[in-house]
Amino acid sequence: MVPTAGEPAAGDSWGMLACLCTVLWHLPAVPALNRTGDPGPGPSIQKTYDLTRYLEHQLRSLAGTYLNYLGPPFNEPDFNPPRLGAETLPRATVNLEVWQSLNDKLRLTQNYEAYSHLLCYLRGLNRQAATAELRRSLAHFCTSLQGLLGSIAGVMAALGYPLPQPLPGTEPTWTPGPAHSDFLQKMDDFWLLKELQTWLWRSAKDFNRLKKKMQPPAAAITLHLGAHGF
Amino acid sequence: MAAPVPWACCAVLAAAAAVVYTQRHSPQEAPHVQYERLGSDVTLPCGTANWDAAVTWRVNGTDLAPDLLNGSQLVLRGLELGHSGLYACFHRDSWHLRHQVLLHVGLPPREPVLSCRSNTYPKGFYCSWHLPTPTYIPNTFNVTVLHGSKIMVCEKDPALKNRCHIRYMHLFSTIKYKVSISVSNALGHNATAITFDEFTIVKPDPPENVVARPVPSNPRRLEVTWQIPSTWPDPESFPLKFFLRYRPLILDQWQHVELSDGTAHTITDAYAGKEYIIQVAAKDNEIGTWSDWSVAAHATPWTEEPRHLTTEAQAAETTTSTTSSLAPPPTTKICDPGELGSGGGPSAPFLVSVPVTLALAAAATTASSLMI
Repeated sequence: MVPTAGEPAAGDSWGMLACLCTVLWHLPAVPALNRTGDPGPGPSIQKTYDLTRYLEHQLRSLAGTYLNYLGPPFNEPDFNPPRLGAETLPRATVNLEVWQSLNDKLRLTQNYEAYSHLLCYLRGLNRQAATAELRRSLAHFCTSLQGLLGSIAGVMAALGYPLPQPLPGTEPTWTPGPAHSDFLQKMDDFWLLKELQTWLWRSAKDFNRLKKKMQPPAAAITLHLGAHGF
Repeated sequence: MAAPVPWACCAVLAAAAAVVYTQRHSPQEAPHVQYERLGSDVTLPCGTANWDAAVTWRVNGTDLAPDLLNGSQLVLRGLELGHSGLYACFHRDSWHLRHQVLLHVGLPPREPVLSCRSNTYPKGFYCSWHLPTPTYIPNTFNVTVLHGSKIMVCEKDPALKNRCHIRYMHLFSTIKYKVSISVSNALGHNATAITFDEFTIVKPDPPENVVARPVPSNPRRLEVTWQIPSTWPDPESFPLKFFLRYRPLILDQWQHVELSDGTAHTITDAYAGKEYIIQVAAKDNEIGTWSDWSVAAHATPWTEEPRHLTTEAQAAETTTSTTSSLAPPPTTKICDPGELGSGGGPSAPFLVSVPVTLALAAAATTASSLMI
């Protein structure tokens, strides 16, 4: 790919991405919850759940805008390409029985690792986005996603689970292989957004499961207005 | 001369015997089955008989008029469903059965209608299909389910002919499912396919056992309870939220309440003494669409037993003041006094509300007496 004026060649940008991602991984984790009064992990699990819903909602409009920017066929509702698996995105899809039998630590770890990777890729996307408006929306989303990551880290800390540290060799680097064509780059962007959407749906279910396990059987709260008027 | 006559007689008898024998003992071929299109024309040849052979045609045992024949062939024009039946041609003189045709009149299949739904998420989903118009002849359906490039098994429903079930192997997939169906019969072939994401087809069954009860000593309350549909396998990890709608039978406007948790709700703004109809629908908290409305529950809020009958005057007094709050706003109808004979206001709405207001008047007096 011939580098246009002012733009780095494809290989260089992936190298930068790799560098950025390794830096992110080694950042200190977001400090744990302020534990005054310690109501247990329940409220922070609820907060994390709420964040996934908020992010899912935000993503819907962001994805619509971004896919329109990519143009057809990516913005067509029937677009159903085969997944070649060339991208190294964290996959939300999991065997049903495996998912049901995940222990809490593994469940949280998978979520944390997935969003760490996805945030990294999203930041790469932001770097290349053409319009300022898109960059703004992406930056906003990245901030919210960082918030989700912090929230998950808080839950893990509250439960006493260690934050996952990347093993050498499993960092989300991208080896600059053969020049990535424009179309293939767009395919990668498409799958990134799709995987992000699916992960947010999955997280809602993951946190539902965690919620039910953490909370003691809550007494039914019924409002009895009694005989004091309508 | 006497000698040749018995000879001729024997010969004829022998021939007749031979014919009867062949007729009785020749293996009867099974009728030839033939499918023809409604509205078309068909010519049925009498087996291998010559065109000029003398034959008679019968359908289901009834003779057919000779004017339908073209030589030894039967011609049927503008086939109707009533033309279906067993056609047989006989040698005219010997009544020897030459040929049989079992004719079925029908149509080639039109594009089938296919839909899939998951009411047992995350266990699996089912697909069902039907033809928009009947073909009147037997059809065979073939369903294939593809998840990306992987073929999935669609197990036939034990009870329903036009339904099959697929089990989810993986959850949270980014790859769409493609379900194709092909239908064929003797006259033609058709097919269709649908593609969807795992999340979009989730639609629970309606909530079960919806019960509405009056609340003692509360003339404006109704307590509604229901149960999660029994087909929903995992309400813990896949919680449902609910939508409740209710209205008094006499009004058309529904009130709505969305509930994110729990399987009970108390209505606190019911009109006293009115019978209510209540329905509930369910939806997965995050994905899919709302279920159909549940079976309706009926209930009337609690009213105190009248200690004494209200006098006519007392009821009439309160009638005009309370009518307007219940009856739908009257339409601006131009009232022709000549029409009504004795003149006066809009008659229809007033007539509807009269039996109702007496009860309201009773409740009002009761309420005031109880100091609620």
